[in-house]
Parts: sequence; structure tokens; C-alpha cells
Amino acid sequence: MRLPDRVTGLFLVGLGAAAAYGGWQLPPVPGQPVGPNVFPLVIGTGLALCGLAIALGIGRSFEEEEELIPVEGGQPQPPTGKLYGLRALLPPALLLFYVAVADQLGFIITAALIVFVTSTALGARWKLSLPLAVLAPIGIHLIFSKLLRVPLPAGLLPMPW
Amino acid sequence: MLNTLAQAFALISTWEVIVAMLAASVYGLVIGSLPGLSATMATALLVPVTFYLSPIAAIATIVAASSMAIFSGDIPGALLRIPGTPASAAYADEAYAMTRKGEAELALGAGVWFSAVGGIAGTLSLMILAPPLAEIALSFSTFEYFWLAFLGLMCATLVARSSPVKAIASMFIGLLVSCIGIENPGGVPRFTFGVTNLLGGIEPIPALVGVFAVAQVMRAMLTPEPPPIPRRKFGSIMAGQWLLTKKYHWQMTRGNIIGIIIGVLPGAGADMAAWVSYAMSKRFSKEPEKFGTGHVEGLVEAGASNNASIASGWVPSLLFGIPGDTIAAIAIGVLYMKGLNPGPTLFTEKASSMYAIYLMFIIANIIMIPFGIVMIRLASHVLRAPRSTVMPVIMLCCAVGSFAIGNNMFGVVTVATFGIIGYVMEENGYPVAAMVLGIVMGTMIEQSFVTSLIKSDGSVLPFFERPIAAILAAMAIGALIWPVLVWVWRKLRREPAPATASR
Repeated sequence: MRLPDRVTGLFLVGLGAAAAYGGWQLPPVPGQPVGPNVFPLVIGTGLALCGLAIALGIGRSFEEEEELIPVEGGQPQPPTGKLYGLRALLPPALLLFYVAVADQLGFIITAALIVFVTSTALGARWKLSLPLAVLAPIGIHLIFSKLLRVPLPAGLLPMPW
Repeated sequence: MLNTLAQAFALISTWEVIVAMLAASVYGLVIGSLPGLSATMATALLVPVTFYLSPIAAIATIVAASSMAIFSGDIPGALLRIPGTPASAAYADEAYAMTRKGEAELALGAGVWFSAVGGIAGTLSLMILAPPLAEIALSFSTFEYFWLAFLGLMCATLVARSSPVKAIASMFIGLLVSCIGIENPGGVPRFTFGVTNLLGGIEPIPALVGVFAVAQVMRAMLTPEPPPIPRRKFGSIMAGQWLLTKKYHWQMTRGNIIGIIIGVLPGAGADMAAWVSYAMSKRFSKEPEKFGTGHVEGLVEAGASNNASIASGWVPSLLFGIPGDTIAAIAIGVLYMKGLNPGPTLFTEKASSMYAIYLMFIIANIIMIPFGIVMIRLASHVLRAPRSTVMPVIMLCCAVGSFAIGNNMFGVVTVATFGIIGYVMEENGYPVAAMVLGIVMGTMIEQSFVTSLIKSDGSVLPFFERPIAAILAAMAIGALIWPVLVWVWRKLRREPAPATASR
């Protein structure tokens, strides 16, 4: 997901301009010189200026390239492919999946699915990921629901405690 | 004074506090030692748990977990050359070189011993610095608070190890996030786009969990698994540490002082303390040629420094609600949640709680020694836990924890969103810590800014009229134009960029 500075910079210009415009549109407090509109205006302008500077490449000389620490014995090269980079979106997608279905399916089932998918995606065999998918949700449920009394959705599979 | 101390002892000698502290210590040691799981992440994931504890027990967990995690990041650094937390990255190479020379015990022992010393030095600075500063801070008006918050944000951008322009942009993004909601001078819904859940604004804690935990799981999806640690037997870990203390007492003291100063600076935390101290140590060493070949001197100084910054980072947090680093940013959230609102009056009205915090810091740093030794001995087992079992559990903690903060599914959406934002920003060289500080301090900086403007009838002059405000303003503006000066200087000299000039 490394984008050129020009792209991120221009995106920030747009974001800053939108924020400044949005702030400008807010109604002022009657009888007062400054209201809720001032702060977004200042920030939006600042952000847009920074974005412009980034797009123009100002300040690049300060960036330190992160040193990659080579590990002895050779590191397995990550497989490269077009869709490989999209794997990074899996964790947030799973969290949104949790939001969408946890109330119907219940915590245990949803959590088991999340654990199984995450674990498999990180290279675990089913011999490891399957027991983990059963045990981890129960453990978390015990701690958060029983000990800390967080109202986790029961759904299809309520726990006996 | 003695009476307050006795009260403080009474506050921390309950079972709840003791159990919370021990459990958090173990938790901090384990999370800190796992590569890729940082001390900030350990603390952020603790917040939902602290929700259900008494105020002192809640702070105890934060204090214990963060101190332990910073030390324990040294373990994989020394054994695998992979720092467990970013704060250990500065000297992971050096420690690993020592392990290869067969001095793993000395390296790890120095880690635990000088971490504990540093932590206690940091606590002493907190005890000594905070009360007199509170006296001064009592006379602060919104002008001073504005400049102080501004200075804090500028420091956060100055110390970031990336382009200052990108750091300032990150800070603006954070401030923009803090604009969302109806908590603004006019009480009108701002940037909510008609979404009811956004009316209350973005909670800092789910945002932090997203940026530090979810983004890390995302990164793990694309990076190969670190190699398992070789099994090994350790000799005596504390042997020779006293000799080192005597030999390098000056380096240790300098590390402590640098760590304290960097900790107090808003926005700069343990990672920066370790980098600066390691560089200092090399610069002023009598035998700089030994650095990088397994020389313990830099370890002593940097190890003493990063733990000292943890405690002193609480100074601006407790006094002004301005976080000294990202861990302190979380601590501030917990303080507000528990009714210990940061401010100078905390030291007069809740003096016993403050003493309890000092005591907990000292205790945490003392039990770090035995716990740390056990952890080092068990490290080869703990570090064998494959990533594919740890990360799924972290995912569940993210989901449940962010839900628990408001018993609201929207928290989980926030975590997922900030996971993506944090990941993309980090990939492109935008420091996320600056954004986090922007989110945490946004409301405060806006309030002091707008209130000051209203008081001054829209004029900017009063911002510079009060003496302390003028000094703070000069410092903040200096911090703002510093990168420009460095840039111009470099252009004039036409020299290859020295790596230390950007700080």
C-alpha cells in the first residue's frame, strides 16, 4: 500500500479543503466573533498546505528509510501477487463482519469464525486453528462476560454461565 | 505529608490493587516480549478491563503493564535481533551481538536491572517535578494552556523519525478527527454527516486500539513469521550487574536524565529516549569503536533511558492533561474515566491518589527484577507461541474491548476504520503517534483557543502578553520553524544530511 507522496499529498489537500469549507458553512454563535467554525477552518487550511508541501516533495530529505533487519539463515520471501496486498484488509473486514452478524449469530459463533479465519490466514493448519477457534472465544467470553459483565450478544449459542 | 503517604499505602494495599498489578505485570511482560506487539498496544487493550476496576486498581494495571512491556521488549531484541517493542529497537543489534559473543545473560541482565533503575529515577522525577510545576500551573489561563498544548503537538512532530511535514499533516488529521461531534463551542453537530453515532465524537481509545492493534494484525498478514527462538540455558542473570553499575554510573545517570527530559516533553516517548540515549552513549564513549560489536555501554544508557521516560511522561499528563507519549495518552483517558481529571488541583485535592501512583511506579519497578528474571528464563517458551495463535486472540480483544467501552457496536466500526487509517498512514511514512496526540488533545486545544479568542475579542496580541504565555509561544514557534532552519542550513552547507539533525 505504498503510495507516491504526490497521491497522499493531493488527497490531504482535498481533505483539508473539504474540512475548511465544511467549517466555514457552520453557523456562528450569535453575538460572538468566534464559534465552532474557526477551528476546522484553521485545521483544514493547515492540512491543505501540508498536503501541498508533501505533494511538492518538501521535507523529503528528513525521512529516514526504515532499516530492515536481516535475520540470519535467510528469511522466507513473502509471496508476491496482485491480490496478496489485499490480505491486509482482512482484519478490518472481519471486525465489520462482527458488527454485522454478532447480534444474530451471537458472540461465540462469530468469534469462532473470526479466530479461524485469522489463524488460517496467518498460516496455521486446521489442527491448530480449529481448537483455537473453539477455546479462544470461550476464554474471552469468560473474562469479559462473566468477570467484567460486558453484555456480549448471546445469539444462537448462549453460554451456560 | 506522612498522613497522605499512609493514606496512599492504604489505597494500594487492597487485594484488588495487588492482584490487578501482578496480573498486569505478567500481561505486560508477555505482550512486550512478543515481537510486533508494542507496549502502547498492550496498554490500549487493557483499557476496557480497567473500566471495571476501582480508580487506583485501574491506574495500577496501566503503570505495571507499560513499565514491564518496555523492559520485556529487550528480550527478543537480545535473543532474536527483533525488538519486542519499538523502544528496544535502538539497541537490539548491540544486544544481539552480545548474545552471539555468549554474553546473553549480561545483556538481558543489564536490560532488567537498568530498566528498573531507570524506572525508579523516572518516578523520582515525577515526585519532585510535578508538585512545584502544579503550583505554577495554578496561575495558568487559557492562553498558557493553548500554547502548552500547541507546544506539545509541535514536539510530537519534531521528534517523529520522518519528514516533519508529514508529521504535522498527521497531527492535523488527528485534530480534524477531534472536530467530529457536537462537543464544540457552538454545540452544533460538526462533520457528523447525519450519523447519530458520530454526534458523540470519536472516542480516543477505540481509535488508539485501531491504530496500534488492528494495524499491527494487518501488517502481520503481509510479513513472514519471525523465526522461533533457539532454546538455551541461562547462567546467572544478575551477576556482574553491580560491577556494570559502578563502571557505567555516569552513563546510567545521563541515560536517566535524558529519558526524564524526553518523557516530560509532550509527544516524545520511550522509543525516542532510547534512540537519543544510545546515540549519546556512542558519541561520548571512551571506546566508540566497540559499539555495534556487543558492547554493553550503550545498553546501559538506553535501557536506563527508555524506562525513565515512562514515569516522567506522566508529569504533563497529570498536570495539564497533555500526554507525554502515547502510553500516557491512554492513561489520560483512564484518568478521566475514573474521575481523576488531570489538572494542577489533582495534587492538592487528590494528593493521596498521587502518592499512590508514585508508590505503584516504584513497586512496579522493583518487582520488575524478579518477574523479569523469570520472564527471561521462560522466554524461549513464550516466544515459541506462533503468531497464528496470538493474533486471532488480539482480534477478539479488539472487537470485545472496543464494544465494552460504550457497550456500542459503533466502537467496533471505529476500531476497524482506524486500523485501516493507521495502516495506510504508517505505510506511507505518516507517523501515527502524532495523529493520536492530535485526537487526544484536539478538544482541549480548541477550547483553549476559542475561549482565548473570545476573551481577547478576536485579537491575537493577548496570546503573547502574559509572561509565561510569551515564553511558551516562543518555544512553540521555535519548534515550528526549527525544521525550516535545519533545511536552510543544509541547503547552504550542501552537506550530506546528518541523521541526528532532524531531531
